[in-house]
Amino acid sequence: MPDLPEHLTKPFVNLLLAAADDKLFLGHRNSEWTGLGPILEEDIAFSALAQDEMAHASALYELAGTLDGRSADQLAFGRKGAEYRCAAIVEVPDEFDWATAMARRLFCNHFDVLRLERFSHSAYKPLSHLARRLAAEQQAHVQHVDDWMVRLGTGTPESHRRIQQAIAALARIAPQLFEPVESQDQLVAAGLYPGRDQEMYGQWCREIEHVLGRAHLSAHLDAFNPEDRGGRRGVHTVHLAAMLDEMCEVYRLEPDAAW
Amino acid sequence: MSGSANVGVHVDHEHPEVPGLLAEFQAKIDSGQLIEADDWMPAAYRKGMLMMAEHHANSEIVGALPEGEWITRAPSLRRTLALTAKVQDEVGHGQMLYRVSQDLGKTRDAMLRDLITGKTKYHNCFNYPAPTWGDIAMIQWLIDGAAIMNQKTLADGGYGPYVRTMRRINMEEAFHFKSGEDMVLTLMSGTKGQKEMAQDAFDRWWGPSLMFFGPPDKPNAHQLPPMRWRMKTVTNDDLRQRFVDRFVPAALDLGLKIHVVEKDDRGYVTSKRPDEKIALNNATGHWEFTQPDWDEFFRVIRGNGPCNDKRLALRRLSYEQGRWVRQAILCGSTSLPPAA
Repeated sequence: MPDLPEHLTKPFVNLLLAAADDKLFLGHRNSEWTGLGPILEEDIAFSALAQDEMAHASALYELAGTLDGRSADQLAFGRKGAEYRCAAIVEVPDEFDWATAMARRLFCNHFDVLRLERFSHSAYKPLSHLARRLAAEQQAHVQHVDDWMVRLGTGTPESHRRIQQAIAALARIAPQLFEPVESQDQLVAAGLYPGRDQEMYGQWCREIEHVLGRAHLSAHLDAFNPEDRGGRRGVHTVHLAAMLDEMCEVYRLEPDAAW
Repeated sequence: MSGSANVGVHVDHEHPEVPGLLAEFQAKIDSGQLIEADDWMPAAYRKGMLMMAEHHANSEIVGALPEGEWITRAPSLRRTLALTAKVQDEVGHGQMLYRVSQDLGKTRDAMLRDLITGKTKYHNCFNYPAPTWGDIAMIQWLIDGAAIMNQKTLADGGYGPYVRTMRRINMEEAFHFKSGEDMVLTLMSGTKGQKEMAQDAFDRWWGPSLMFFGPPDKPNAHQLPPMRWRMKTVTNDDLRQRFVDRFVPAALDLGLKIHVVEKDDRGYVTSKRPDEKIALNNATGHWEFTQPDWDEFFRVIRGNGPCNDKRLALRRLSYEQGRWVRQAILCGSTSLPPAA
């Protein structure tokens, strides 16, 4: 087992859980579209993306579990609401609106590429190895959502209006992706999560503005206010509890049973 | 999930066919050659193959719905991923089969519209409810098991594009069946509650599984166009018996009991008694069983089943919600809004 200073174990596990929880619930929300997508071919593609997100989450839970002692399933299904570390943007429902589903992926996918890039330079080798493996798929996710932005932004007046509206609505909560987990500065200093949040934020804004420019769209993004306590510190929207109730409906019948 | 050749083929005797071409076509079929999309074919054959492929395609995308409802409730990461991939496969099968149908002369949009307006049908078994995780296990084990049995014989048919699609689909269905078998085995090796969940679901799905192969055959099934033209190669009753011979001993081995049940309007079991006919007939080598309630079958197929309205409403919602997206793609090159 690689060395990890004991006092940083808990914050590091929370960092891994933040990434895993983001991906689990993004995948969960996206999986709701399987069988109901707007076009059969896209239905299939979108389901593959949802599966990628959940598979990435699973790998990150496994890694967190090696430090925390719980299984991936216990981490995914067995925690109380306040123990989750996901950001608000993956919690809100998309109300079966394709524009909201795609706008959510725009903000999350570009964020995830940058987060995985930082993970891939982590001093904790199991994480850096895993991140490099996930990065290739993540790149395909970005390509997919960027293409859709252009398609919808330049499609019809209606598609332009709808996607612009969804982007504006989610842009208000998207910067909460940048909320640090507790003691994140120490993880950065120890090289476990190398890089600067500020630079990552700047890069994220530039990438999104670039894509939206090509798509004749725009977003107003404010920097995350560190005073706001959100999902990274266990303060969630009401939607998380509802989502957990649904997700754990069967698991909670017999939490110790094999399913 | 569900191949079905149980679509009646109406032969339009008013339609003039060229006798020479017709004889050539029948000879080709009889010698085991495949008919391809651009070959000459009788109008009734084209119509029948289209109905069959379209019905099958509809069944795949409607069949995605009952299981799709459980993706967000699957009880482990592994099951969630497997179920999502499985439902995705069904949509993929639908896509392939709509392509086969499109080549036979109907646009995809027309097919999706006919589905949501009830003009065309889909497989009857998807009009039943799936109220527990046990139902998902049973659908994957029994219904996918039945589908494989049916589709293996459809892969021996005569229309090339459909036959090749069946071969590909069958490979994927084999995974679904394995996954279903594993789910049922896990439940039946689990706690008392899990075993009860599996038995209750089995009681709900045994009847629809027997009905899966369609109603009892007409006495002259072999002479009718579907078999004469090798659109299907085995009768409904023969397929049903194969299914029973395979699944009765498997269910008994797992500790499941086979019941004759009564159901309410919602498709829930209200009473049950052991199927006393269940026994291996040593003389024939086949398992005996009680026929399902065929009155119920025809009631459900006419649109009065427990979930007909719900399934169609969801497909309609998907069609309507996706319309602006499809328009955006079709119009992408022609109507550019001003830069923001």
